[in-house]
Amino acid sequence: MSEQDQAGRGIGTDEWVAQHEDRVGAPQTGMARVAQQWTRLPGLVRWGIPLVIFLSVPFIGSSDYILRIGINLGLFVLLALGLNLVVGYSGLLDLGFVAFYGFGAYAYAMLSSEQFGVHLNSIVALLLVIGTTASFGFILGLPSRRLTGDYLAIATLFFGQMFAVFVVSSDEFQFPGMSDPVDLTGGANGITQVDQISVFGFTFETNLSYYLLLVVLVVFFTVATKRIHFSRHGLAWRSLGEDTVAAQHMTIPTVRLKLLAFTIGAGVAGLAGAIFASVQQGVYPSEFMLPLLITIYAALILGGLGSIPGILLGAFIMVVLPEVLRFPDYSNGIFLAVLIIAVIATVKSWKVLLWAFGGMIVIGFLVNGILLALQVPYLAAKEWITGPLAPVLGSWVFMPDNRVLYGNIAFVALVGLAAWMSIMRRRTRIIVLPLALWLAIWTWEVRLLLEPSVTRQLLIGALLIVLMASRPQGLLGKPRVEVL
Amino acid sequence: MTTTALELTSVTKTFGGLVSLDALSLSVQEREVLSVIGPNGAGKTTFFNIITGVYQPDSGDVLLYGRSIAGMTPDRVARMGVARTFQNVRLFLNLTVRENITAAMYGRTKSNLLDTLLGTPRARRESRENEERVLDALSFFGTRLQGYRLDQPAYSLSYANRRRLEIARAMATGARVLLLDEPAAGMNPAETHEITEIIGRLRAERDYTIVVIEHDMHVVEGVSDRVIALDHGVKIAEGSFDSVATDPSVIEAYLGRGSAAKK
Repeated sequence: MSEQDQAGRGIGTDEWVAQHEDRVGAPQTGMARVAQQWTRLPGLVRWGIPLVIFLSVPFIGSSDYILRIGINLGLFVLLALGLNLVVGYSGLLDLGFVAFYGFGAYAYAMLSSEQFGVHLNSIVALLLVIGTTASFGFILGLPSRRLTGDYLAIATLFFGQMFAVFVVSSDEFQFPGMSDPVDLTGGANGITQVDQISVFGFTFETNLSYYLLLVVLVVFFTVATKRIHFSRHGLAWRSLGEDTVAAQHMTIPTVRLKLLAFTIGAGVAGLAGAIFASVQQGVYPSEFMLPLLITIYAALILGGLGSIPGILLGAFIMVVLPEVLRFPDYSNGIFLAVLIIAVIATVKSWKVLLWAFGGMIVIGFLVNGILLALQVPYLAAKEWITGPLAPVLGSWVFMPDNRVLYGNIAFVALVGLAAWMSIMRRRTRIIVLPLALWLAIWTWEVRLLLEPSVTRQLLIGALLIVLMASRPQGLLGKPRVEVL
Repeated sequence: MTTTALELTSVTKTFGGLVSLDALSLSVQEREVLSVIGPNGAGKTTFFNIITGVYQPDSGDVLLYGRSIAGMTPDRVARMGVARTFQNVRLFLNLTVRENITAAMYGRTKSNLLDTLLGTPRARRESRENEERVLDALSFFGTRLQGYRLDQPAYSLSYANRRRLEIARAMATGARVLLLDEPAAGMNPAETHEITEIIGRLRAERDYTIVVIEHDMHVVEGVSDRVIALDHGVKIAEGSFDSVATDPSVIEAYLGRGSAAKK
């Protein structure tokens, strides 16, 4: 930059900055256009549309089953928003989080059941539960003053496991100085016949009432999180999550804020736990263990850490998808859609696409024809494959009579082929692609559809892998960098 | 009569057997630009870390406008009025430019979580004031960090812009004393020239007291009222740039024994 340039534009004048509006305003195409239009809508509309949908769910003849899924989703969103403060904002890897959910549930159950013959007023009980759970959060937060990263994860994981062990084994708890053991938690049987929450004479009894309560709570905590996001505390949490040392040098009392995040996160989890205990009128130890923790983390990461719409979407997917996949018709459609979209997204050239899908279809008919001609024993595929895709797939998939055996062989072959493809040269990989696609669909239809309870886990796992590979920042998360 | 902004009285800091600062005493006047030079490992960054509370001195005291700040945590020191930049830029990379600067105003704002949730007048007033302070701090660096860049994540900035943003962030804490750790490291000649100008303007227009660690002697020559040379934690020379640059013990520290004689 010469002196003259500087004089002409003044220090730090930047043409790139000046042209920015034009670049952003330029019309987009395809999906980007849809996204652009969506972000131009006012926030009230963008948030209002999903809210109206969720509010109308109970009134369009939804079954109790759907309402129960909705309740689970609501509780799950509360947990995810609570954990987001600790993990998404403050960057503290807390693996003991579900213990607070369990603690809230057990504390509420102890205060409103025949376990100790205590039946507190619901409001008092809820306040007590939130208060004590939050204090436990504070205590669990104490190690975070010194520990970070993996070390904090280990310490908190220990706390979570300790809670699980304590709950299962405290049906005969021996207090020092007392002669007889006391039944604190009901052991493996849990605590049953828990009172339902009752506020100002209104008792939450039906699924509908809980559903609406949770809609209100989710809206409240979402709005709260949105407000916190850009606030003084939100920024402090996010900056200490980025770089604790730098944050501390920028007037932020990091220890106090870490403890605050732990405390509030635990309080929210405690509230969710109390509602959970009231919904199912009982608490059982198996519900507050590692699988739930992993699912919450999966939802946070899938949606995009720190992004509020992302968290809601991630929670929705992690709660609703496993339920949808219980039905073979749906899971069949989802599997094929995901496979086709994944191939289209990764293969850029339309010639290769044509080769892949054309080849796949030809292979299917060829195999079907050859095996029929050889009179290999078979089942009528049309009768086994149900749903809207049945007529298409029925004459394309060859269904051997021993589905389990051939399916298992094909599954092993598919895994082997996929592993081999990952180290192939590009040219060879393209040649093999139609075969791999056909084998994947064939294995799915012949073997995996037989056992939806197993395959839905496989499918969710595969979905997560594909998503994380293609969008590591999560569905709605912003791209992040660790070190640059 | 000028006031003393920052004063170290016989500060010693050892790490195991290594003496990093050895009975270092110095004082910085208000609105003074003091440069600290010295070979690698001389204790320059330890000197900053002692002031900002990363380390506590083994003996001696650190005074800010006559009040002892030794032993305070870095966030308290920052709220007392000392802000710094880092040798290896430490921005909040995934936060936007605006958020980076606003985050540093935590100590000078007072809204609590309830204010935020309810949107009380205090919360709204503070966020309005913060917005003005962000633009004010950035206006120092031309328009290059303004406009749409305000809402770009810090990782998308060029290296020089990151250094500028770090200075803006330190200004936003409300500090009166700025500690700049190698502000010109890794910059090209034009950018180095600009940084020199900016340091001068920080003092002239905003009345900051500035301590600079710098290896680039053009910058040191350009900005300093006074220069201090450190070696092995000991102050080996102090005075104007010319007198320190020609001091035999400084040349010896940089180039080795005998170099001064040959010259």
